[in-house]
Amino acid sequence: MTRDLRELWRFRELLWQLVRRDLKVRYKNSRLGFFWSIAPPLMQVACITFVFKYAGFAARFTSYSAYVLVAIIPWTFFLTAVLDASQSILLMYGVIKKVYLPREVVPLSSAIANFIHFLLSWAIFFVYLVAYVRAPILPTIIWFPYLVLVQFVLVVGVSLLVSCLNVFYEDIKYITSVLLNLLFFLLPIMYVVEQVYYSPVFAAPGHGWLRALYMYNPMAALINGYRKCLLQSPDPSAIGGRVSLPLDPANMLITGLLSVAILVGCYAYFNSRKWQFVERP
Amino acid sequence: MVALSNAVVCRDLRKSFVVHHQVYGSVKLAAVNALRRRPKETIEVLRGLDLVVPQGQTTALIGRNGSGKSTLLSLIARVYRPTSGEIEVNGTVAPLLELGAGFHPDLTGLENIELYGSILGMPIREVRRRMDEIVAFAFDAPDLAAKIDTPLRNYSEGMKMRLGFSIAVHTDPDILLVDEVLAVGDEAFQAKCFRRIEQFQNDGRTIIFVSHDMAVVRRSSTRAVWLDAGQIRLDGPTEPVVDSYVSLSRG
Repeated sequence: MTRDLRELWRFRELLWQLVRRDLKVRYKNSRLGFFWSIAPPLMQVACITFVFKYAGFAARFTSYSAYVLVAIIPWTFFLTAVLDASQSILLMYGVIKKVYLPREVVPLSSAIANFIHFLLSWAIFFVYLVAYVRAPILPTIIWFPYLVLVQFVLVVGVSLLVSCLNVFYEDIKYITSVLLNLLFFLLPIMYVVEQVYYSPVFAAPGHGWLRALYMYNPMAALINGYRKCLLQSPDPSAIGGRVSLPLDPANMLITGLLSVAILVGCYAYFNSRKWQFVERP
Repeated sequence: MVALSNAVVCRDLRKSFVVHHQVYGSVKLAAVNALRRRPKETIEVLRGLDLVVPQGQTTALIGRNGSGKSTLLSLIARVYRPTSGEIEVNGTVAPLLELGAGFHPDLTGLENIELYGSILGMPIREVRRRMDEIVAFAFDAPDLAAKIDTPLRNYSEGMKMRLGFSIAVHTDPDILLVDEVLAVGDEAFQAKCFRRIEQFQNDGRTIIFVSHDMAVVRRSSTRAVWLDAGQIRLDGPTEPVVDSYVSLSRG
């Protein structure tokens, strides 16, 4: 693996050129450009806020939209990065068949381009948070860069896996998109984690593993982390009188380790198959 | 120019591909395959090649379709890994294969030069330094050169090929691989390509090319390697090898 990494480093200029290509091409023919990166998630936020604030449980939340937005931004990054990655190698197939280059630059460049959009979305979020919600910046914000980094590691790992599998089985992109659709509901995006954590099913004796499974799912843990480190806890009255869960450093560290393990595992798998891409049956 | 060392050395080089008679590209078919063995065949495209190409030599690979010429080029370009045997390649390699596969239609000519140059392994500074040279080589007519900052989708196929060729030859590789692409552009541009290739030869660079055009082979190469069913049938100075290849294929 170190040899693969050294080779990747040698091709870092190509990686950057591919990132630039992705960034330039994405909205080249649209008039509103980067707006299309932020408009869909913002519309989603507006819609979810409307439904849950005026028709559901969220009535007692102050600025529920901030809770949703803080989850939608990492979710959108994960979703678009994984979907783009699943297609990435086949889109470059003509080049890969003819030119030697470390194959991982392809999914990696697509992940990095999406990561840059992700960072820009956060910039917009902070403007919104400070100027519109007028929320204070909490000291727990020191976790924020860590979470961003961990998510990047996780996304690169999953991107490598999905891009590699899709070369051999083109159903992977369909399976991925179905699974991502389901994941959207399984993650605390439209709701807050306390509602799941304190739910009778999860709290029942003997169901601790189910709760752990939920809490240690890396994406759920990351979304919780972002929420806890950027926003004040919801009022107990908004979550059925329960105590809101604090940011859990142990969970955050385990999520980091898990993401690194996912990256290492997926990269090893990718490397074991990357020279077969051109020979796919 | 005296050959200093060997550009390419192949020792008992073998390459096989697994061919599925019914193409599978889905999980469903893969699952079915796992259950009942589907006819799967291993095709040995290269069967034990021993070949040494000294630095500075221009070698033509000739042979019928399916004899393994392009597979050998891909192995030299490190796109394929050998199934067994060894291949050693000394120096940088630029493949002049299917020009412009890395082009993006929405980027301008200039942006595509940067992209394609780095795909071919050229440092980006070098690409920028030689930008004018690349454009001038591709488009000598001012009306064509004026299009260089417009998106590539406005270019004709010929223009794209000229641009691709120009970038590839400006990467200054130690080894140039050419796969049947010398039929680029109009006659004037072809003449220019040949001059460029002669210049490569004079610089002492190695060229390995595949062609079915025996006039090109006779004109450009000093050595011809005749591949037949994945093995070397005849290897030597161009004229006798080409003569016997031609007489056999006519006979």
